[in-house]
Amino acid sequence: MRWRPGPIFIILALAALLPLLDVVLPPKMQLCEAVRGVFLYAILALGLNVVTGYAGLLNLGIAAFMAVGAYSFGILTCEIYPFQLGFWPALALTIPIGAFAGFILGAPTLGLRGDYLAIVTLGFGEIVQDVLKNLDVVTKGTQGINPLPAPTFGGSEWTAEDEYKWYYLFFALLVLTVIAVRNLERSRLGRAWFSIREDEIASRSMGIRVERTKLIAFATAAAIAAFAGGLSASVLSSTGEPSNYDFQISILALCIVIVGGIGSIAGVLVGALVMVGLNSIVLVKATAWMAANGIGSQGNVLLSPNNWKFLIFGLALILAVRLKPNGLIPPRIERAQQ
Amino acid sequence: MSVLRADGVTVKFGGLVAVQDVHFTVKQGEIYAVIGPNGAGKTTLFNAVTGIYAPTEGHVEFNGREIVEPLTGLVLFKFACAFFAVGILTLVGLNVETIWTAVIIDNYKFDQPFPWSVAATSWYSTIWSLPLVKNLLPLLIGGGIGVGAAAVSWSRGRRAPDHIARSGVARTFQNIRLFNELSLIQNVLVGMDYRMKTGFMSALFRLPRFYRERREFHESAKKLLDFVGLGDRAEQAAGSLPYGFRRRLEIARALGGKPTIILLDEPAAGMNPSEVVGLMALIRRVRDAGTTVVLIEHHMRLVMGVSDRILVLQYGKQIAEGIPEEIRVNPKIIEAYLGSEDHG
Repeated sequence: MRWRPGPIFIILALAALLPLLDVVLPPKMQLCEAVRGVFLYAILALGLNVVTGYAGLLNLGIAAFMAVGAYSFGILTCEIYPFQLGFWPALALTIPIGAFAGFILGAPTLGLRGDYLAIVTLGFGEIVQDVLKNLDVVTKGTQGINPLPAPTFGGSEWTAEDEYKWYYLFFALLVLTVIAVRNLERSRLGRAWFSIREDEIASRSMGIRVERTKLIAFATAAAIAAFAGGLSASVLSSTGEPSNYDFQISILALCIVIVGGIGSIAGVLVGALVMVGLNSIVLVKATAWMAANGIGSQGNVLLSPNNWKFLIFGLALILAVRLKPNGLIPPRIERAQQ
Repeated sequence: MSVLRADGVTVKFGGLVAVQDVHFTVKQGEIYAVIGPNGAGKTTLFNAVTGIYAPTEGHVEFNGREIVEPLTGLVLFKFACAFFAVGILTLVGLNVETIWTAVIIDNYKFDQPFPWSVAATSWYSTIWSLPLVKNLLPLLIGGGIGVGAAAVSWSRGRRAPDHIARSGVARTFQNIRLFNELSLIQNVLVGMDYRMKTGFMSALFRLPRFYRERREFHESAKKLLDFVGLGDRAEQAAGSLPYGFRRRLEIARALGGKPTIILLDEPAAGMNPSEVVGLMALIRRVRDAGTTVVLIEHHMRLVMGVSDRILVLQYGKQIAEGIPEEIRVNPKIIEAYLGSEDHG
């Protein structure tokens, strides 16, 4: 069969070439730094896509697993704790830790149907924040854990100035995540997930072990989210405070999946670009531009585009559901086909 | 030899008795039909057989024994794991600050190597120096909850549809339940899923055995589609199939697991006469390939044409059983079910 580039490949190829734009554009744009955020959310949303897109289980607490990943990364690496692992082993460990957290939450709750499960995950998201906030002894409460190490490649540790290194690190990890998720999607497991989403009774009657399959989806999503959390903690050199991992993050990830296309990897990538790009590139740059040109008086919150983001998210969701109910890039039918 | 035997099966929904004291035996290699007016409890009987409902009374045997997951050592081991997992989580969760302080904070001096061996022993003494309400009690209560939950979910799942399907009992549904967004071949592959061996890791890392298995099963799925006459539509979405073909695809999907017995719930519903003729041939071929067939059907020409024996239900009770010739002339059935001759 002749190979032709799929949408995922095209998106990733464009992303790989993006730093070239930075050379052309005025230096103050700092496009790469902003696009890093897109990559991070794309990883998170790819995780959410496994559980919500493939297996059809609405998860409103994905940010909690991101927090689990960030804090495990913090505890494993920060010098105020005895573990003091390097960047790579700690980042690798966030994956099994996240999977374990997903398993703990999933095992007792996956018997619940649709909306009830969504409420449980929502509650879990809030509980995790509260636990992190109140468990001062372990998590340093609202201060967050810092400083955290950056990756080392060939001796020296990276700093914030190594913009392109960070960019390509995020890019490489995003590519790895895409490959991993795609391999799972196009396998026996992915097919079992779709069948459960389509018709649980039928897939059970075909011998699919529904609980186990759902649990794997849940743990996989949690592992990927924890991985994203560890990565974000590393780039910020701090876990940040627990309320950084609140409901807004979960909803943003969900918006990415819905706007992009539920169950479609290419869709999630585009969705991340649209949603996060709007949020942290277009609005931020627009605010800066307006401030620089004297439009938008200080103190008038309505005139600052930064404050429009929920308006825009809401609008994007309504438009997506109204005009493109299957997302910008809907999943293909013959998914596991080669 | 009997493959399927129902012994006094009764299904009640609250006060409503949907199926009452039904006995039947299906022999290896026969085509057995269950007929009866709408609401006679035929589909409920199928659901009780395949584990979607648990029979209120009576039991169902396949190959001479009831299909329930046995209480093996592995299950007991899982219960023990559940006990310790939930118990230890409760214990640690309750005392996390104390333990963390004693093990990590008290032992860790900045700029000095961490005394791992001391830390490794201090967690143990820390836990057991706590008052009993903070260690043993949470361990037992948490563990009890863990074991209880594991036991409840295990006993509920003992006779679950997935377990029964895995034991070789496949079925189709009256109101076609295909996976509409998956292609035809994918639908069949879902039916084959429990015969596959490769797991998460081989899929994630694309190990050689992943490719080997995929090739193997794609080939046999293709063959099954050819068998039911849908081979040329393998890549099409199941949702786009015409009605008559969907029933065939459901049969192919059910056959994917190489069942010993297949239960067809109204396979001819909504088919035109020529499709029914094709279906009759297909049902015979399924039987000739070695799968015992049980079917629910209203279509009398099909039932009389293919069945070896027929069971008649009315208001949940069985009113007759016999070969087609007996059923055809049984006045009780003509009166109760067929009503007038022109149905036949």
